[in-house]
Amino acid sequence: MRERLPSSLWWGVLLLGLLIAVAVAAPWVAVDPARLDLDRVLLSPSIENWLGTDALGRDMAARLAHGARVSLAVGLLSAGVALLIGLPLGALAGYRGGWADAAVSRVIEAMLCFPALLLVLALLAAGPRWFSGMSDVLRIALVLGFTGWMPAARYLRAEFLKLKRSEMVLAARAVGAGHLRVAVRHILPCALAPVLVTAAFAVGAAIAMEAALSFLGLGVRPPVATWGGLLADAREQVDRAWWLALFPGLALFLAVLGCNLIGEGLRDLLDPRRTTARP
Amino acid sequence: MTLLLVTLLVFCLIHLAPGEPLGAEPEDEGLLRIGEQARAELRAQYHLDEPLPKQYLLWFTDLLHLDLGRSFHDRRPVTQKIAERLGLTLTLNASSLALLLLVAVPLGTLAALNPGSAWDRFAAGGTYLLYAVPVFWAGLLLQILFAVRLGWLPLAGLRSHDHEFLRGLAGPADLALHLILPVICLSYSGLAYVSRFVRATLLENAAGDSGRAARARGLSRLAVLYRHGFRQAGLPLLTLAGFLLPSMVGGSVIVETIFAIPGVGRLFVDAAFQRDVPVLMGLTLLSGAATLAGILLADLAYAAADPRVRRA
Repeated sequence: MRERLPSSLWWGVLLLGLLIAVAVAAPWVAVDPARLDLDRVLLSPSIENWLGTDALGRDMAARLAHGARVSLAVGLLSAGVALLIGLPLGALAGYRGGWADAAVSRVIEAMLCFPALLLVLALLAAGPRWFSGMSDVLRIALVLGFTGWMPAARYLRAEFLKLKRSEMVLAARAVGAGHLRVAVRHILPCALAPVLVTAAFAVGAAIAMEAALSFLGLGVRPPVATWGGLLADAREQVDRAWWLALFPGLALFLAVLGCNLIGEGLRDLLDPRRTTARP
Repeated sequence: MTLLLVTLLVFCLIHLAPGEPLGAEPEDEGLLRIGEQARAELRAQYHLDEPLPKQYLLWFTDLLHLDLGRSFHDRRPVTQKIAERLGLTLTLNASSLALLLLVAVPLGTLAALNPGSAWDRFAAGGTYLLYAVPVFWAGLLLQILFAVRLGWLPLAGLRSHDHEFLRGLAGPADLALHLILPVICLSYSGLAYVSRFVRATLLENAAGDSGRAARARGLSRLAVLYRHGFRQAGLPLLTLAGFLLPSMVGGSVIVETIFAIPGVGRLFVDAAFQRDVPVLMGLTLLSGAATLAGILLADLAYAAADPRVRRA
């Protein structure tokens, strides 16, 4: 019997695939996003400028396509950082239990108490000096990863707690595998599936957060085109150019929606209870 | 017994929490231009010359006296700076929460009346889409539509230019008009979560044996939902509201920036630009503490209203 993949997964993959294609192809298909043309300022969408032009005559479609690169880079990188922090901590807490579990769990709870945006802004503003020397994308990805690892750690901890007592572990131990080997080679592959779900949501959340930061002016700095930055520019022109506000936000919305749909789809796929409950 | 454990947990958490904002050593880029002597004095004034654990201890003892230190920017006490702006942000958040519940509860209820119906799926899909809409985009579009195109509502700010001349009820009405768009922006993203929650809780309680029995006694569907659903759903809903408030604080940072509202969120963004560490620390701590208080209150309310929890 072949199971049908959840439709949300298809839609999510479609949206995100489109985004990745645009981001990868941007340097070849789009015109230079930084080229000024002061004769063609604030033009509404037309054949030459599909999505119109901004206050300096720059082509919106090109800027949007290049913004996709930043969003995607930050989203994927930060999810990677989050996994890099969350996986070892979650595995440690779940496998060792006892004080390690207590310590990690308290830290997770304490971190979850703060609104993520406040924590990110505080870290970006008051981070140590070596930190502000990094490139914007890397810096933001690190901060977002550092403030977003908790769900991955939580889920992995729960999986480890469950699998720790399985006969599979007993067998591995019996043939002489060390604790580290058991944890990494035997439990981790089985426990990774639910973590994948959190990773998909983490990418979406990071893309939204990066846009928020750039919108506030504390993210990736101009002249690099980012969706958040484009929206911040659009604020100056709210009474003149609706297309400046509409398209970057739409791109952002579709990207976040795509990630959420993938996460949702994966969850449905991995959780047999939910798939069978569907009409 | 549960109560004791909860208070103990909160106590530990509060002790853990301030470690994070403090982990970031204050930047003194701006101090590079002034002389060595003055810099040393400034450092001494803010205890930046002490080792980190000592700094932490000093900050913490001040905290016990409800003193969050002075702002780097204008040297005014942080507590004072926060206090004069907190009311506005709380008003904003409280009205947003009210609007959220006002829309989400009927939505969830209607969906629960006919689970699986077209309306149910439409509500779930619509709110799900809304959840992915970034706040600042929604804010911009609402501004363009209602303030620029239609001219129904003010673009930004809190007061009209002529607000000093408004008499009687016109003043509060002016304020309310200015708050409509921000409140909408803050509340829509929670719709998916809350309405889904209401639907699930109602179905769980009203679709059980007690609900079926009530239907058999001839009560209408609405009456069953009301008598068997809402009474049991009310409390979890309050808890949920407690959890939602902190996430709204994050949202109000952006909303206050878009709509030029001088609240706590705006203060936080300004502090981030100015690298005003005492203000950042104070506000981050405050938001964390508010969350903890919310969770604690929710737990207390639960224990007070539900005997099963108390016994566990």
